[in-house]
Amino acid sequence: MKGKKVGSTLPKRDATVIFNRRAALLSFIGAGTLGAIMFRMGQLQATNLISGEYTDAADENRFDTRIIAPPRGVIYDRFGVVLAQTSKDYQVAVVQNDVENMEETVGRVAQILGLDAEWARRAIIRVRGGSRYEPQPLKEGLTWEEFNAINVRLPELQGIVAQSADVRAYPFDVVYAHPIGYVQKPTQRDIDRALEDPAQGQSRAVYLRNPHVRVGKAGLEASLETVLHGEAGWRKVIVNARGVEQGEDVTERREPVRGSGVVLTIDHELQRTAMQSFGDQAGSAVVMDIYTGDVLVMASSPTFDPNLFVNGIAQEPFRVLNEDEKKPLFNKAISGGYPPGSTFKLTVGIAAKQAGVEDDWHVNCPGYFPFGGRNFHCWKRGGHGSINMNRAIKESCDVYFYQAALRAGPERIAAAAREFGFGVAHDVSLPNVQRGLVPDPEWWLANRHERWTAGLTVNYGIGQGSLVVTPLQLAIMAARIANNGLAVTPRLVHEAPGFPGERRAPRLPDISPEHLLAIRQGMFGVANEGGGTATRAGNMLQLKRRPDGVIVDAATAPPGSTPIQMAGKTGTAQARVITAAERARGVIRDIDLPWRLRDHALFVSFAPYDNPRYAGAVVLEHGGHINPALDASPITAMIMRQLLLRDPSNRPAATLAQLEPDSRA
Amino acid sequence: MTTLSMSTSGPNTVFDRFAKLNWGIITILIALAFIGVLMHFSVSSGAWTDMPLTHGIRFTVLLFMMVFAAIFLDTRFWLAIAYPLYAGALVLLVGVELFGATRMGATRWLDIGPLSLQPSELMKVGIVLALSRYYHQLDPRKTGTVLWVAPPFLMIVAPVALVMHQPDLGTSLMILFAGVCIMFLGGLLWRIIAAGAIVAIGGAVFAYFGLLHEYQRQRVDVFLGITQDPLGAGYHVLQSKIAIGSAGLFGRGWMQGTQSQLDFLPEKHTDFIFTMIVEEFGLLGGALVLFLFGALLAFTMQVAYKARSLFGKLAAGGVAATLACYVFINTAMVIGLVPVVGIPLPMISFGGTAMVTLMAGYAIVLSVDLHRDQHGARGWLW
Repeated sequence: MKGKKVGSTLPKRDATVIFNRRAALLSFIGAGTLGAIMFRMGQLQATNLISGEYTDAADENRFDTRIIAPPRGVIYDRFGVVLAQTSKDYQVAVVQNDVENMEETVGRVAQILGLDAEWARRAIIRVRGGSRYEPQPLKEGLTWEEFNAINVRLPELQGIVAQSADVRAYPFDVVYAHPIGYVQKPTQRDIDRALEDPAQGQSRAVYLRNPHVRVGKAGLEASLETVLHGEAGWRKVIVNARGVEQGEDVTERREPVRGSGVVLTIDHELQRTAMQSFGDQAGSAVVMDIYTGDVLVMASSPTFDPNLFVNGIAQEPFRVLNEDEKKPLFNKAISGGYPPGSTFKLTVGIAAKQAGVEDDWHVNCPGYFPFGGRNFHCWKRGGHGSINMNRAIKESCDVYFYQAALRAGPERIAAAAREFGFGVAHDVSLPNVQRGLVPDPEWWLANRHERWTAGLTVNYGIGQGSLVVTPLQLAIMAARIANNGLAVTPRLVHEAPGFPGERRAPRLPDISPEHLLAIRQGMFGVANEGGGTATRAGNMLQLKRRPDGVIVDAATAPPGSTPIQMAGKTGTAQARVITAAERARGVIRDIDLPWRLRDHALFVSFAPYDNPRYAGAVVLEHGGHINPALDASPITAMIMRQLLLRDPSNRPAATLAQLEPDSRA
Repeated sequence: MTTLSMSTSGPNTVFDRFAKLNWGIITILIALAFIGVLMHFSVSSGAWTDMPLTHGIRFTVLLFMMVFAAIFLDTRFWLAIAYPLYAGALVLLVGVELFGATRMGATRWLDIGPLSLQPSELMKVGIVLALSRYYHQLDPRKTGTVLWVAPPFLMIVAPVALVMHQPDLGTSLMILFAGVCIMFLGGLLWRIIAAGAIVAIGGAVFAYFGLLHEYQRQRVDVFLGITQDPLGAGYHVLQSKIAIGSAGLFGRGWMQGTQSQLDFLPEKHTDFIFTMIVEEFGLLGGALVLFLFGALLAFTMQVAYKARSLFGKLAAGGVAATLACYVFINTAMVIGLVPVVGIPLPMISFGGTAMVTLMAGYAIVLSVDLHRDQHGARGWLW
């Protein structure tokens, strides 16, 4: 037998003995293994006892700090009207993790809201960058009807959320687009810049990444960012592995602090009137208090709705705004640079007075002034005849001011211009304030690399040449003339933390009150005397001061009331070069020119004439004096009439203490 | 030399047998399943529905079946079905290879009508019984010769290869481990063991480069420190270590484990349930569970020691080896001692497969214990 044969050659072995021995060995190994596992567990905990690394890691896993966006500070007009606030915004958002088919779901949302496939495509791209587990806004600024339409269909839209959030709103939309500007979502560049800036750093970057945070991008919203944005709060939340909030450690919660309110110097009623008075014309208006420098109106036309920018403006509407030749996005009041034209004659008049020109100095105006081998023309072809300064201002005689400029000399004109505030970027707490340009021989040599010529001086006399001024600067000039030589500076912020109150303006060092009086008399003539270039506007005022000092409509004024008048100066600034050939043929009338080649129409003014308090400047871009009813001077008259009736400087302004009694001062 | 026969008087009545069951083993099994119910209640955030209830009911049903089988089936039955069971499991494994249902990237299931069968689990019991029978009937003097080493070797290699190909690394390793343990306990010569070890190391290297799937190789790489990726293959273990390391002596409390409750710990109801136990009940809780498993293994080895038939000894030893394999690999895995392999913690992890396999194993162990005095001559035929 097989077994027997093998068995005889092999040593005898007892299976039971072998089994028991080996089972003992395996049991021993097993016990050792259990010991090793036990030891390893103890070792992990011992490591944690010493370094705390696993406890820290567990805490880092489950705790997350979430920013609470602070409500942005409210912006008020000088009487407390709310111009920018925080309001509820209805949004449709998506939790990406809950959506099975992104294209289909967002496509259905687009269908409900009546949006196209292109919108859906862009929305998906935008959303993909954000968290997969937190709601990411697809479309903000929904109407109540759209919001309801989404809400009704929510059961069939898995992963879609209808939510409301606090968002910046501008109740008067287009009226304050330029001075207040707008907020937008922070861009990646904002975040990068915050990270680079040691003063801002990581916490600011985290704040900027919050989907509800907006930062000021234009106007006061941008320049007052630190005042308005407030302090972010935070919540220490417990999250699960997918980042979904499971609870909150309320003891660690810090509530956000609302940004401080800001009271502006602007008077809302006036601002609205000014904005409306432009119609569809391009231009700007600045009206200010001649003693405090309070800017009561800062209008720029055409305008846009800043609310469009808060949640991100679509490409096409932005392109339309950006490429419009009337530049609606641009704050013309502070950033628009123009040749001042005849309004500059007031400055030249001061410079001439300083050079010794008296009221009895007469100049003959035959309609042109031959100088240096060429003729400098007066706007009046037939000429003004023999004319002195008072009449020359009133009738805006060019030939007089050609010669007055020659007597004053370019240095004196430039010096007077600078004293009146030209060539200076005035701090009105706004970004992009233009400095303008006041040329003089020194500047000419340094920048044009040639000597100044007398011909340039002649042109200087009527505010042409390389001179560039802003509407704000024109208003400052008018104010400094009206306040009899105080160096008043404009301000847009009436009250805000860190902003000084009213400042007393120092005297202008080199401008004498007598000279200013003569100029003011000339300006009175412009609006109120026969032959004046703006008598039509002057007549529009129709106001009287009652014996008790209150300004009322002339029609309702009781007997014994005295008329209230304004004073001003018209200006026309060429936006093109008129060649000798064209002049020979006859200058083409503005109405026959394309819009962008027409002259700018300007008007500077102050009122009341007998006791000045307000000054202003209106510039109509390429206005060309085409429509007499909508020219710069009647627009000024419209604003001035309402301004004088409201008389805002003599009424108490609102204070933050009244408006926001709860805020921590 | 034919049969196992009753040589001494065993328990005769059903009640006798019931009373003489190994109550130590049964108690530990109940304790482990109870811990499982507790943990599933915590996994479900304090709800009885679904997991904890299913786990408890499943265990209770299997417990009754196990006791019933232990009482009514004696060692002869297990010996009788050893080879047919093994052969059937092997046929089914081949069937899986040919007609298997693919779920989650692995072909492990055989769908027969409404039944969904996982033949690799059947093989875990089959290999233990078949090899036990083989050595039971083999002349101990022949265990050392190459000729008589070949059959058990092939009996192990065939299912291991088939299961590895599914792919199911964990199960194939367990079949291999249980098979090798029985060969060792059956009296394999040391010099063959030494030669086998060398071949095994070579085979492991070969398997790493040739047989392992990319995800499996990644796990090994991370474990060996060749690559580091806390959010990839190493994420599970990292989160598990954080949970265990931060638990402290008494843990964060039942249903209070932050890593587990907030889902940072993946697979907490199955492969990583031991981590959850430690996180919520601390080092002491983990030690208690390890102690229970240690005691269970000790009781099982005691059954093997007391059994008079080599078949009984080997079968009980094989079940112990299978259990040890589950426990050691699972717990070592969650604390980062071995690479991540999908092996659950028996009786505690959710899922019926491992529980059915082990309860079947313990039906054999309890049966062997109850009928430990049965012994018989060795031979090819019974």
